Amino acid sequence: MADASLPRPLRKQAPRSRFGVIPIVEWGLLAFLLLYPIAVSFLTAGDGPVDFDNFWVIRITTILILAKLAISFDLCWGYSGIMSFGQGLFFGLAGYVVAKFAEELGWLQIFFVVPMGMLVGWLAALLVGWFLLLGKRTPTVIFVALGTLTASYAAERLVGGWLWVGAGNGLSIWDFLMIGSYELEPGLAFYYVALLLLCFAYLGSRYLVRSQFGLVLAGMRQNEERIAFFGYRVQVYKAIVFSVAGMIAGLSGALYSYHEGFVGPSSVGIVTSTYAVLYGLFGGIGTLIGPVIGAGVIELLRLFLSDIDAIKNYWPVALGVIMLIVVAYRPTGLLGLVLSERERIGSFGIVDRSRTRFGTDSRSSQLKTTETDDGPA
Amino acid sequence: MELDAIAKLVFDILAFSSIMVLVVLGLAVIASMMGIFNLGHGEFVLLGAYTVFVFRELGLPEWSGMLAAPFLVAIVGLFVEATVIRRLYVAPVIAMLATYAVGLIIRETVRGLIGGQFYSIDEPIQGFIQIGDVSLSAWRSVIIVVTIAVMAGCYLFLTRTSFGLQIRGALENPMLARASGVSTARLYAFTFAFGAALAGLAGALMVPLFSLSADLGLRFLVQAFLAVMLGGVGTFEGPVLGGALIGAMVPGFQWLRELPLLNALIQPIVAEVLVFVVALIIVKFRPQGFVSKGRI
Repeated sequence: MADASLPRPLRKQAPRSRFGVIPIVEWGLLAFLLLYPIAVSFLTAGDGPVDFDNFWVIRITTILILAKLAISFDLCWGYSGIMSFGQGLFFGLAGYVVAKFAEELGWLQIFFVVPMGMLVGWLAALLVGWFLLLGKRTPTVIFVALGTLTASYAAERLVGGWLWVGAGNGLSIWDFLMIGSYELEPGLAFYYVALLLLCFAYLGSRYLVRSQFGLVLAGMRQNEERIAFFGYRVQVYKAIVFSVAGMIAGLSGALYSYHEGFVGPSSVGIVTSTYAVLYGLFGGIGTLIGPVIGAGVIELLRLFLSDIDAIKNYWPVALGVIMLIVVAYRPTGLLGLVLSERERIGSFGIVDRSRTRFGTDSRSSQLKTTETDDGPA
Repeated sequence: MELDAIAKLVFDILAFSSIMVLVVLGLAVIASMMGIFNLGHGEFVLLGAYTVFVFRELGLPEWSGMLAAPFLVAIVGLFVEATVIRRLYVAPVIAMLATYAVGLIIRETVRGLIGGQFYSIDEPIQGFIQIGDVSLSAWRSVIIVVTIAVMAGCYLFLTRTSFGLQIRGALENPMLARASGVSTARLYAFTFAFGAALAGLAGALMVPLFSLSADLGLRFLVQAFLAVMLGGVGTFEGPVLGGALIGAMVPGFQWLRELPLLNALIQPIVAEVLVFVVALIIVKFRPQGFVSKGRI
């Protein structure tokens, strides 16, 4: 990282290692996820024939789908300071729309379902974002948080009482997702499709937050007013990020309703929105890989805890306790345990032209952090 | 339209408004005092309602539960303030997330305890009050009277007592209040408990009108938020006005269905959602609220 154009003191202060923690986590997780279904199928097979569409593959597929929802929340809160308690709205709405298309028209092709889900999520987020974020006055965090919560709650009540979409029972999808004439049943194939789409969503988000656009977002996190004085329309940037996040949540929701074969009012409402918040906060907000890990850990926890008879009815309390502990004692989440402060706060690798260093503003470093660029510049 | 029906509608609106005013007042007191929007406020309402349920299950009369609810919920509020909120005054947004987590814990605990069921609770005072040709529900009258009494009590407390003066002082300028020897930490703890108590009272009073379920709190949180946004924060009158309006809209939109043309258009569920939409639109175009002074 010898760089003659850097001022001397900076170079001294910041000898960046070639390998940070995040790339290791990223590649490690990817390798694990690629090998996991094969390994778990052979391990659980025992003496019988190997079943690649077993329970453990299907459950982890759900996690891969929900990880996209977690990323969408992180784009909002971790990267642009939009406290969205309404990611469930975009998730569930997309689920409902694709389920309705399947029911009424029998349109099951993945090349229709996935873009449709994304479109629905994007449009809904654009609408909500326009309403809450763009206006004469700059909205406060609390207004946005409760505005998204209200939207999500209202949507939940609406679909819960609307017979055309199944009211309280929700909609079931009886058919499988299709790729050409191949039926995508929950199992190994669905797993890899979900993984592929997760990689797309992840890389797309990573590109967004590391581009010049992401640099503006980073500036916003540091000092929103100053960025505004530079002539950036902060709220427009927020609305764009919000709509992109809605798109990813929509993608997640469309896949989810096909994978589970069901979409109900709780997918649209507070429950899903709360999970999205939990994944993000628990995994580590402000890094893209954190929410993915958070979704995995929380969902596994849910899987095991809801299976224990003694606490069957009370296990969601654990989620509240986790959230409280993370918020009050460990704002950097799980990833903060292994991640150095420097890497978490990070720096932008806009090579040689405008290398920007961010100090650790004691206030904003608590939750709002930037992704780091550790690749060779 | 008959006189009876109109009187009933007006009375419904007054009763719902009273409940909302109690909820919103608690929320607004905490928000304007500490700058923290308590996302667990709806769950304090739920706790108040749940207290009445527990008292009934124990074989005690409903009214005793209603008397106890504000005090029990205040103790819960005091506990939450001392363990969680106190350390987060410097970061209101994080405190807000923490209150959401507290609300989640309360909500899920209650859900576990009542097992996802809906329970209805009888009105402690049943029957009707007959005024001329018009008969009015006795319990709704009690709600309205209690709300007016609490409001008057709050107002007198804030304007006439020295403790109320301290609160107003701390509200105006916390630094100066501390410098003058007012313990703002104590005031904050008291305020939080007081806000929680108001929510608990509202929950206990309204539970005969609604049925008890774990998601009861969310509905009140969302409506109270809209009411605060409508009314504007930082004043006593603003949130009260907003709460009254939101409370009025719920039976108001339901009543609109009785008009022949709108009946087909407005399904019962649409009426509820319409409240949110209308309130959000008003907030969008008048973000400073009806009575503007400060903003959260």
